[in-house]
Amino acid sequence: MNWFLKGLKKGIKTEKFPKTNPIDIAPWSTELNGSGNVNCPTKAIDNGSWNSERCIYCRRCYPLYSPTGNIDIFKVNKKNNIFRRSFYVYPIDIGTCGGCNLELKLISSPQYDMTRFGIFFTNTPRHADALIIMGVMTEGMKEPLLNAYEAMPEPKLIIALGVCAISGGILGTGSQIEPDVIIPGCPPNPYTILKALIEAKGDKE
Amino acid sequence: MRRLIGQLGKFCLYSDTYFEGTCPHIENEEIANSPYGAFNFTYGPSAGGLFESVGIDINTFGEYIRNIKVNPNYKKREIRILDKSIEDAILYIERINAAFSASHVISFLSAIDKISESDIDSDVLNLRILQIEMERIRNNLFVIERLVESAGFQVPLYQLQYLIENVNRKIGKLFGHRYFFGVNSLRKININDPKVDFTGIEREFKTIYEDIIENRIFIDRLQGNGIIKDERSIGPAARAAGFYYDARIEDEFLPYKDFDFKISTYNSADAFGRLIVRSEEIFESLRIISQIKVKSKEYKIKVNDGEGIGRVESPSGDLAYFVKVNNGKVVNIDLLSPSSINIELFSKSMVKNIFTDFPFNWESFGIWISEVGVRFI
Ligand code: SF4
Ligand code: SF4
Repeated sequence: MNWFLKGLKKGIKTEKFPKTNPIDIAPWSTELNGSGNVNCPTKAIDNGSWNSERCIYCRRCYPLYSPTGNIDIFKVNKKNNIFRRSFYVYPIDIGTCGGCNLELKLISSPQYDMTRFGIFFTNTPRHADALIIMGVMTEGMKEPLLNAYEAMPEPKLIIALGVCAISGGILGTGSQIEPDVIIPGCPPNPYTILKALIEAKGDKE
Repeated sequence: MRRLIGQLGKFCLYSDTYFEGTCPHIENEEIANSPYGAFNFTYGPSAGGLFESVGIDINTFGEYIRNIKVNPNYKKREIRILDKSIEDAILYIERINAAFSASHVISFLSAIDKISESDIDSDVLNLRILQIEMERIRNNLFVIERLVESAGFQVPLYQLQYLIENVNRKIGKLFGHRYFFGVNSLRKININDPKVDFTGIEREFKTIYEDIIENRIFIDRLQGNGIIKDERSIGPAARAAGFYYDARIEDEFLPYKDFDFKISTYNSADAFGRLIVRSEEIFESLRIISQIKVKSKEYKIKVNDGEGIGRVESPSGDLAYFVKVNNGKVVNIDLLSPSSINIELFSKSMVKNIFTDFPFNWESFGIWISEVGVRFI
């Protein structure tokens, strides 16, 4: 049987998300809720409130704080509906553990199928509408990051994916480029990533 | 039989012992006399097609590769771990390489267990085996996915991605986190939901596996590509060359001998052999997992001062830590990552191959730059 028929035989695997609720989310990648003073290693809990931009999901605050299952922990400060039909993203790893890379990649899996929203990966910043920055800022990646940023045409969006790129998490410092979109998590789960990208490209609700 | 594994800080590590001093290097075969038309070409550090940031310097003569050097230092991270408590150190260790996070933490904890002389409950050790084997399944699927992606085979690519996502969801359901972060500590292995069933995975992978190894175009790209038969090999690269090397049977700290499974080997020593070994290992890992009863477990390890070495069989081969503890704090730590050895093997195997072989051969070693580009401070 040829590959095309083999593919057809499997049927549709894509989920209805975001029209329906996400299924099977690992709890320790979602919003935390609770109260009390905790010795949080990244000060993600300070004065009793939880800051997604610093949380590395180490569970030290459990059971005072526990995951709610809510995936909407991202922030879109700037979106651009010029990208509604097609949104090309260029991922750059400036010092990751590989976790953010793996989860980002998985939004192209059949369960999520990012292409149905017109989201694609591109191999060059020249063709990119958004730069997705992952990892802590390392010395050797400062120049490649700047080069990628400058190579991109306007208008462009900057997305910080994962706590390392946002705040440095536990390992270092963030990317230093002001992001338009932040997607917290260590690593962020694919549902959160996909939903944030859909919003960033200016899709109607 | 004693085999040499590699450099672990000031020690040269062997399968059954270690000595202070430097291990002999694997020499990359360079071809002398640069002929007319030979030139250097740098790929990366941030280039489409590369999963992580890495610089690859290729000396080539048209299609023919004369020499290749991998530079993992672009994304080198300084990990501030010295003088941290063991519990805090775990937070750092699990973020060295997400793909092998369980292997890293369990190797580190094995070193701690050894110096602590604690008797670790067999249920705890079995739960550690469970994590490593699940990690192996996920990683091997990922390596195979990268191979079919390099060949541009969209249907099996998406079938494999579907399966990887399914495995991730099962890991996430069982342990609460898809990459085992926050799972291990000195008191407990965090189990979220012990009733996770892995049975569908074998059936699903079997059909994909049969389809891809029947595909002449695909296997042509792998057969004869990146041949390396070297006694210094580790992991799937060694086993694909017929060496019966595996920390699971050599290091008795994790009780693999209690499980019924076989070490998969092959005898082609090329990228195809590495694909076969990794695929067969998925079935064997599933077999191990099916023999483990999952239940939550609390325990207590009292950390002693001293130094020790822990080693596990990660999805890409031997992974070892040397740890020195003083007053409950990590005062010295060294890592031997499988990727650092596999980079040397890859570089050696690439010489005299042609340029188009490069992506397939690179992916077949399952190298993670994140675990090589690390400096402990
Ligand atoms: S999970 Fe860890 S990092 Fe996140 S808030 Fe709790 S203690 Fe802080
Ligand atoms: S945010 Fe977490 S998963 Fe992402 S690179 Fe950093 S340590 Fe890894």
